Amino acid sequence: MAIRDWPIKRKLTAILLLISGLVLLLTSAAFVTYEVVTFRQTIRSQLATRSRILAANSTAALAFANEADAREILGALKYDPHMVAAALYDRNGRILATYPAAPSADLIPAAPQPDGYRFEGGRLVGFTPVAQGENQRLGTLYIASDTKAVSDALRLSGVIAIVVLAIAMLAAYALAAALQGRISAPILALAETATAASTRQDYSLRAPKFGEDELGALTDSFNQMLGRIEEQKQELQQHATRLEQRVAERTKELERRALELQAANSELDAFAYSVSHDLRAPLRSIDGFSQVLLEDYAAQLDQAGRDSLQRVRAASQRMATLIDDLLKLARVTRTEMRTERVDLSGMAREIVLDIQRTSPDRQVEFAIAPGLEAQGDSRLLRVVLDNLLRNGWKYTGKQPQPRVEFTAVDENGDRVFVVKDNGAGFDMKYADKLFGVFQRLHSSAEFEGTGVGLATVRRIINRHGGRIWAEGIVDQGATFYFTL
Amino acid sequence: MALMSSLLLVQGESPRTSEYQLKAVFLFNFVQFVDWPPSAPQDSQPPPPLLIGILGDDPFGTFLDETVRGERLGARSIQVRRYRRIADIEACNILFISRSESERVPEILSAVKNRPVLTVSDGDEFASQGGIIQFFTDKNRIRIRINLDAAEAANLTISSKLLRVAEVVRTPKR
Repeated sequence: MAIRDWPIKRKLTAILLLISGLVLLLTSAAFVTYEVVTFRQTIRSQLATRSRILAANSTAALAFANEADAREILGALKYDPHMVAAALYDRNGRILATYPAAPSADLIPAAPQPDGYRFEGGRLVGFTPVAQGENQRLGTLYIASDTKAVSDALRLSGVIAIVVLAIAMLAAYALAAALQGRISAPILALAETATAASTRQDYSLRAPKFGEDELGALTDSFNQMLGRIEEQKQELQQHATRLEQRVAERTKELERRALELQAANSELDAFAYSVSHDLRAPLRSIDGFSQVLLEDYAAQLDQAGRDSLQRVRAASQRMATLIDDLLKLARVTRTEMRTERVDLSGMAREIVLDIQRTSPDRQVEFAIAPGLEAQGDSRLLRVVLDNLLRNGWKYTGKQPQPRVEFTAVDENGDRVFVVKDNGAGFDMKYADKLFGVFQRLHSSAEFEGTGVGLATVRRIINRHGGRIWAEGIVDQGATFYFTL
Repeated sequence: MALMSSLLLVQGESPRTSEYQLKAVFLFNFVQFVDWPPSAPQDSQPPPPLLIGILGDDPFGTFLDETVRGERLGARSIQVRRYRRIADIEACNILFISRSESERVPEILSAVKNRPVLTVSDGDEFASQGGIIQFFTDKNRIRIRINLDAAEAANLTISSKLLRVAEVVRTPKR
């Protein structure tokens, strides 16, 4: 596991141990170094002292070349096991006596070296002048001591250092383990509370506080935050409940109103249907009898009477058309819808052919985009296209170069069908009246019509779940858009 | 082995020469290990030299002169004097009596009796005759024999270190 992923407890303990370990190590190293250095100095000065005593004792032996005496003096060194070798050189640098009596060749230098004491090749060696009186140099004393004492001291202080280190590290570990809790415990408690709060979504939890330090402040802030979240959650819940209630109330009301409306609508439709239906019979009588009058009693009527009867007939025929349209409108609402794939382009072409057949005297240019298709009831959609295209044809009546287009565009992923003409157009401030029943922007004298067609179109479009709207400029044309 | 051979070499090269070379050094070294009674205070500057006298034929050749050349004992220089006759002997500090005078040893000794003169000789029996220091040869090495009574009689103090390396005798009771 990477160190940064260690639990805080372990990190704290590790940091404390690392610091105390480093400090202890440096201290121990300093201790051992000090011990060894001072010990080396001590044994050096000890050797110097011993050398001077021996040198003072060996003056006569050197002065009078008494080898036996010299050997005896040097022989006293055997009481110190650290003394490896010794020798007395006379004034001319020749060896008078050695210790041990028969030394191995490398133990004793052939000639004396400069006076002084030094560590050399694992030994402490010293050359001491032997002099009698003030400055009467008689020769040189050589003593070599092994450095076992130094290595013994090193080992001893090393062992002491290691023992102290081990005990101190144990104590440091125990202390660290005991003290790290002061820092880690609040953090752990905080983390535990945070985890519990987020997993169980229980914001009524509170982290325990251990003291007034930064961690205590953090705990306070955290608890305050939890409190705020809890309050807000409650508020939110209250709002949601209230909202739900209101939605339910509104829905109920809307449903009730929809039912009422539906009832009223169907009553109205039924009423309109029966009225229209029932109106046709007397209308037929009016027209029929007017025709009888015109045909059978034409001689008894003067011109004014015939004209009046002609007007009665025209009016009653117009009224029959109106009633037919109204019945159509009512049927649109009442008929079952059968949804299928409908070829609108083909349908438009059929309608155009029909228009041109019935009115060959007018030359209107129809432009129909190919391949326009939609999902819907073909009978109803035929009514829509029929109305829109005939409108276009009708309102371009005063245009020298009349033209009607049927195309489609894609707007925000929705297919929008467009029927555009360059006819009379309309003022945009009346745009919302276009689709109302009996709402006409032009007089019958100008353009004939009942004012029911666009209302029917809108109803059909609405039944398909689509939308219809129009744009127009007076004398420049109108554009109808619809989606399905 | 190198050590032994070098020792042998020291004693191997022209024995007589090296014997007196060594004796010359010994003679000079006595200066270090013997205390003479303080002489009467003298105002003369520099202090009087320390004198080593040789009575009779000089066996040292130039060795002794070379040995003491430039050496001093404290402020005192060291000088070598040679005497033919007893009457020539001055207030010297060390008197070496040559073998040529061996017949006259008692006479010489009585001449310096009670004077602080360290008498030295390599004549046989010199110490038992009342001389203070006698050189003798033992196992091919030059050794020293000291007559402590004679030294005391001459009012000389001999360092215990010197005594340590010497053979100490007393004047035989007559």
